[in-house]
Amino acid sequence: MAVAWIGNRETLVERAAAHAAALLGSSRCPVFSLDTDIHGTRAAIALAERVGAAYDHADGAAVSRETALFTDKGAMTVAPGETRRRADVVVIVGELPQIHHEFVGELSDTVPDLSAPDLTGKNQREIFLVGSNGASAPPLSNGRTATLLSCGEASLGATLAALRTQCRGRQTSQPVSNFDDFAKALEAAHFPVFLFSGDATEGLALEMLQGLIADLNRKSRASGLHLPARENGWGSALASTWMAGFPLRTGFARGFPEFDPWRYDVARMIAAGEADLHLRISSSIVQPQKKRNRMALIALAKTQKPVAGAAVTIAIGEAGVDHEAVVYSSRTGSLRSIDARAASELPSAATVIRLVASHVSAEAALPC
Amino acid sequence: MLTKIAGGDIIDPVNGRLGKGDLWIRDDKIVAAPAGGAADRTIDAAGCVVMAGAIDIHSHIGGGNVNTARLLLPEQHAAHQARPATTPLSNAGWSTFQTGCLYAKMGFTTVVEPAMSPGAALHTHLELADIPIIDKATLAILGNDDFLLSMIRDDASSQMIEDYVAWTVASTRALGVKVINAGAAAAFKENVRTFSLDDVVPSYGVSSRKIVKTLQAAVDSLGVPHPLHVHCNNLGSPGSADTAAATIAAAEGLPMHLAHLQFYGYGTEGKRRFSSAAARLAELVNATPEVTIDIGQVMFGQTVTVSSDVMRQFSARGSASPKKSVIHDGDGNGGGIVPYSYGKDFYGAMQWAIGLELFLLINDPWRVFFTTDHPNGAPFTVYPALFELLMSREARTEMIAGLPKSAMALSTLAAIDREYTFEEIAIMTRAAPAKLLGLTDRGHLGAGAIADIAVYRRDGNIAKMLGQAAYVFKDGDLVVQDGEITHYRWGKALRLNPSPDKAMVRRLEDYHQQRYGLSLDWFNFPDSAIAREQPFGEVACRT
Ligand SMILES: [Zn+2]
Repeated sequence: MAVAWIGNRETLVERAAAHAAALLGSSRCPVFSLDTDIHGTRAAIALAERVGAAYDHADGAAVSRETALFTDKGAMTVAPGETRRRADVVVIVGELPQIHHEFVGELSDTVPDLSAPDLTGKNQREIFLVGSNGASAPPLSNGRTATLLSCGEASLGATLAALRTQCRGRQTSQPVSNFDDFAKALEAAHFPVFLFSGDATEGLALEMLQGLIADLNRKSRASGLHLPARENGWGSALASTWMAGFPLRTGFARGFPEFDPWRYDVARMIAAGEADLHLRISSSIVQPQKKRNRMALIALAKTQKPVAGAAVTIAIGEAGVDHEAVVYSSRTGSLRSIDARAASELPSAATVIRLVASHVSAEAALPC
Repeated sequence: MLTKIAGGDIIDPVNGRLGKGDLWIRDDKIVAAPAGGAADRTIDAAGCVVMAGAIDIHSHIGGGNVNTARLLLPEQHAAHQARPATTPLSNAGWSTFQTGCLYAKMGFTTVVEPAMSPGAALHTHLELADIPIIDKATLAILGNDDFLLSMIRDDASSQMIEDYVAWTVASTRALGVKVINAGAAAAFKENVRTFSLDDVVPSYGVSSRKIVKTLQAAVDSLGVPHPLHVHCNNLGSPGSADTAAATIAAAEGLPMHLAHLQFYGYGTEGKRRFSSAAARLAELVNATPEVTIDIGQVMFGQTVTVSSDVMRQFSARGSASPKKSVIHDGDGNGGGIVPYSYGKDFYGAMQWAIGLELFLLINDPWRVFFTTDHPNGAPFTVYPALFELLMSREARTEMIAGLPKSAMALSTLAAIDREYTFEEIAIMTRAAPAKLLGLTDRGHLGAGAIADIAVYRRDGNIAKMLGQAAYVFKDGDLVVQDGEITHYRWGKALRLNPSPDKAMVRRLEDYHQQRYGLSLDWFNFPDSAIAREQPFGEVACRT
């Protein structure tokens, strides 16, 4: 089975890695986009330092919105396990990514067993959805529907602002639908939890939500469950934070890490023609993409054929399928070790990145 | 390879070796002087002090909360210079890589992360594995977790509680157990806002004292070398000295370690009702031989407080500077991240003085430990300056002159003459920590010890001398010369490995399935998940 190509020509992995290293070595402005496990991220950051690259998640915008909540404002958050065991009121904030629908279903299908004595009589949590009129919640158990809190077509941020204002006992120009139900539920609640993600939610809305949670905590308890837009993205953000001191959108152009969510937005750097070499690391099978510019591409992907237009393609395995891995799990809110479901010979992203790095000339030891 | 460290002033209190002499290393161990042996390498240590590598028993260097603090404060830790070629990522501001390098340069070779949330054990160990050069260890947090509180409420047998503690220590690869404001994080989830030693967690009817006593007994009976590491209630509040005093009294003859006592050294005298109770607490510690403490010294400047005492951090969030914070309700403790700047105002000066008073008024250097509770009182990079304050009355007098007189009037610091000797420093930062943690292979320079050695060139400037070691060896590798990293290597995380009771594992599997809807597999991990050759080193329990 072929596992490495230079252009469309099949070659040995070693040779493809050496060629990738040469491209990286001569690049003026290399950028990495990551969609990989923790060890793939660690290896990529070590390589980025060595070649002066900037790195970001492959879908950097959503991860960046979530990151900005923490770098700019901070937050009150709760663990998923505590949410399951304690949340007597669940508020879904905006549209949640598909990967979290199962957990929302689970919440609708279970009852809290901690600190909610009143609920022992009831058999379900109260579930609300904040969003515009057309917003849809993930499917709930037994055909239940979430109570919609909306201000017509107003944006999520505006709706949350109205909700916050009404929770403070003030009037708004456009009242939030079903507010009385919400107020009643909060009044009786022991631990309401707001589920949020940066997927479709603008940064200001995330900040507004935290303002509401802070208000509620003056007198009673409430918190937010962060359900990351991309699990790999959040995992990479965490690993980057401990390794470089900064989350994703960090660059090593000057030899030391600099975090700049605008400047090192890799999608922007590519679109603006700033980058001259793109290393793309995908944990999953990538669809062939039309190349839109002359920038060279090094593709690490689970593939049986060269990625169209790539200068170098090296096949890697999928984390948790072809090889064991450590990944971020939104179900536990922390890192998790997963076995290989169908172990194969395909190397991990980390292995291939380290191989590339070993061909980049430098005196320094590699940390990962 | 045979190395001779020649002609240094050897300070090894454990083996009673004090004075000029040679120290021999074969490969990774310290050996007796070989008969007629010729060294492959000789290090000239004339004019130098030679001590074992230092051990920090309480420094928040890795794990979920520490990483959240980094995430919250990108503006606080920008790097300013290009990296030196031999130390990858070590100039990244506040990175794991920098942490290992900075500790090594000061001659520290083992550091304990004291607050590992069991659910985040894998994350914590991955971070620690990216801290180069030094060895690490963790304390697992218990005491706000539903499983333990339920067992205490239900009068579970001490055997069952020990089985649970042993399972936690084993599965999280910890070296000991810490309890943080016992019961308060659980109570906070039920909207309780203050919590003292005899307060009760509502849903469980279990008092903080009961949780502490239960864990203290379990840790002792399991033979965990490090006594229960206790973060008391009421941290930081005026009058918290009463809580610390009550907790010291609650040791009742069994070993107990109190973390960052400075943060409880507060009385309520003076017109601001905030004063030093250090003399009182020092007296209590002096009179209670089963108690050890570390200080959590405050030094002036910007830092960030990182604590699993979520109730305390929640109440402190109004003082955040810059104005942002993270408060997390975790499965057990959770935590809070609140940036803070210690100014030379009345309160800052008071806290600074209280820490030093405790250092200087507690007589036995075997029972007082050198910490800033990094980064809570100050980042560990202030250690050289702190050594100077302990070793030089003159340095203290100079500092006091620049501080508010109103604060100094409520502290005895100015009247204290004591200056720590190098021997006392060697006890407090080497010998005693090794003993407290059950690490017989380090903290001294006797034959058979691992070759963790710090060599400091004598200098009138103590901060300079202890801040940039002339030579540091880790496991016999020369890693630092003239205050710079010369060799990059990976240390281990030291852990206990008690065998978990099978019935307890089954019980926990059921519990996780029922209560969390998840199998225990979601939390367990193999050593290979760390992706380092030998990520762990095993330490024996007391038999
Ligand atoms: Zn601490």
